[in-house]
Amino acid sequence: MSEEAHAPVSILPSALAETEGDQPFVAIVRTRQELCRWLDNPPSNLRWLQVEGMLGDPEAWAEAAHSNSNIPLDVVLSDPALEFSHLYRLVDAYGVRAIRVTIPAAPGLTKAVRLAAALRLSVRVLPGQPSAEALRELHDALEFYLHEPTVETPVEFFHSVLATLCDWDAGFLWTILEQDPDAFRRCSADEQTKLARIPDSDRSETSAGFVENHLNHLIATGAECVTCPWQRPCRGYFKWPDPAYSCEGVKKLFFDIQTAGNEIRQNVAFATADKEMLSQPQEAAQ
Amino acid sequence: MSEWVFRVILLPTSDCNVACDYCFEHKEPHRLSLVLVPLLTRRLLDHIENEHIEECEIYWQGGEVMIMGPAWFEDAGKIMHRAAAERGRRFVHYLQTNLIGYSPTWNGVIRGMFNNSLGTSMDYPNIHRKLFKGGAAAYTELWSRKLRETKAAGIEVGVIAVLHRASLEEGPEKFYRYFTEELGLRNFQVNTPFPGGPAKEVEGGVQLDSSELAEFMVGLFDIWMAEGYSSGVSVAPFDSLVDHFTGKQSRLPCIWKENCSNQFISVDAKGTVAQCDCWVTSYPEYFFGNMFREPDLTGMLKTSRARREFVERPKHLVEVEDCLSCRYLSICHGGCPVRTYSALGTMMAKDPYCEVYKAVFACAEAHAGDILRARAAPIISLRERHKTVDPCCVN
Repeated sequence: MSEEAHAPVSILPSALAETEGDQPFVAIVRTRQELCRWLDNPPSNLRWLQVEGMLGDPEAWAEAAHSNSNIPLDVVLSDPALEFSHLYRLVDAYGVRAIRVTIPAAPGLTKAVRLAAALRLSVRVLPGQPSAEALRELHDALEFYLHEPTVETPVEFFHSVLATLCDWDAGFLWTILEQDPDAFRRCSADEQTKLARIPDSDRSETSAGFVENHLNHLIATGAECVTCPWQRPCRGYFKWPDPAYSCEGVKKLFFDIQTAGNEIRQNVAFATADKEMLSQPQEAAQ
Repeated sequence: MSEWVFRVILLPTSDCNVACDYCFEHKEPHRLSLVLVPLLTRRLLDHIENEHIEECEIYWQGGEVMIMGPAWFEDAGKIMHRAAAERGRRFVHYLQTNLIGYSPTWNGVIRGMFNNSLGTSMDYPNIHRKLFKGGAAAYTELWSRKLRETKAAGIEVGVIAVLHRASLEEGPEKFYRYFTEELGLRNFQVNTPFPGGPAKEVEGGVQLDSSELAEFMVGLFDIWMAEGYSSGVSVAPFDSLVDHFTGKQSRLPCIWKENCSNQFISVDAKGTVAQCDCWVTSYPEYFFGNMFREPDLTGMLKTSRARREFVERPKHLVEVEDCLSCRYLSICHGGCPVRTYSALGTMMAKDPYCEVYKAVFACAEAHAGDILRARAAPIISLRERHKTVDPCCVN
């Protein structure tokens, strides 16, 4: 679900999206009727559908499997411990369209990630400011993503942070998680523009350059970001909304990703050297 | 148009010309009339149109399909081809037969409709497949002759072998040599048995001890890897598993799909629709409906309460069984519903052969690792050589 950084994408409730005009948008659907409305007749500026609270409705997934359009779906879990097994309902629909699963860092996260990976669904994990329990889930999910050879699809944010730490610029957490207000703006039912990160928040911090301003403020106020080695991929992500949040646990996540990244870089270096070595005998023979 | 293929296991008759004593099918003399083929075809085409699918694979089996005769197939194939072409769709046909009724009169239709190939079945040792007169020995002799005749006619033949107690007693080496050396096959498949259908005395010996079966399967896998893999012998499902673990595209068997309910249906001569041939011939309580009486196959599949149980099974398994913590979940999903149902009386449990599958998956993973390491061996050896001669590496 990567998005060009040019025009911000509006993330709108289905009813508001009807009047979106030509701007790129994501429609939030919460009922089968809303889902079918966009599946049957998707406008060209609809980027994908954000499907919320519908995993319990098997009929909705039958509709998604039989529709003629191939509009992608981002299926949002609210309670992974209760909902993880419902991911099997996406199998038929996944045969005809791209589906990503968005999972909050909460109890059941690892179960949901394991099953999504087994079904070859890509995943977006929303860490927020994780509690101790959520951190344990994040560590387990990361361990699974990094070291389980059967994982074939990306698990974000681990995947893009790993790429960034391997020197392939894949963005920073706010963009990786589609929560940078410069790229994604979420509109509430009362047409207020909200920060995509916490949709039910009444905060409306959506000014241009929000992430840059936020990080500059953290640095100016002496937050631990000043000396944090993961500042580049993070940009103060874990210091919002509470700037006093302790990043000790999330730093271990970054450390584990960095360690895996170092191993990959070493392997790539070996492979490059091997390739050069293999070409040498041929050159000598000539 | 979706890239998905819709698959139908089509039983034009449940009648059979042999008397295998572990057969789970409820044999009936009923045959699919040619008069009904256009209706059947229309229902299938309506469904794949609804699903935006271009191609429908038809797996013809029985009962015994050759009872229908080659002329019947020629006519049925023409009717189906013409109707599909008119609607921009395509049928691809496969034939599974016991070969007993084969004669050269079949060669034309096998070439024209079935891409000059067919599937058949034989066990080793054969003690359960029997002719009505003459028993198992006569069956083996006749089948072997028919196999030689099909091969002489240039027909490509794949064989399915169902394991039973005597197979395990003979051991994997003899089993492998029978199929590859005595029968000269380059392509066969090994199936685990299950006691489907109405209970019969012989079925007590059908369900095998998991550890003995696992040992046999792993032994067979090892022999195939040592002798057959690199010389082009194909043994299913081992070949697909090796492909999977070496990162190639693989087509795993239906028992290990994430949900077999989205893979295929089976239809019998009376139009009964069920999940697969095992269900349509054995378990009326799990019929989805009737294709000739209900005009909308898509609607039937969407609303069938029996089918819902198949759809919901894998979801249930990750909640109540240990499947979620299994590293092979992505290639197993709890195994086969009919193997589970026939052994336990419910499909809402993992496949009783779980431990067998795990042993086979682990074996495949280990062999795949060897293959990948062997591919990398020239590079590793070169690296080692450079280390010994490169003064930069001395320190």
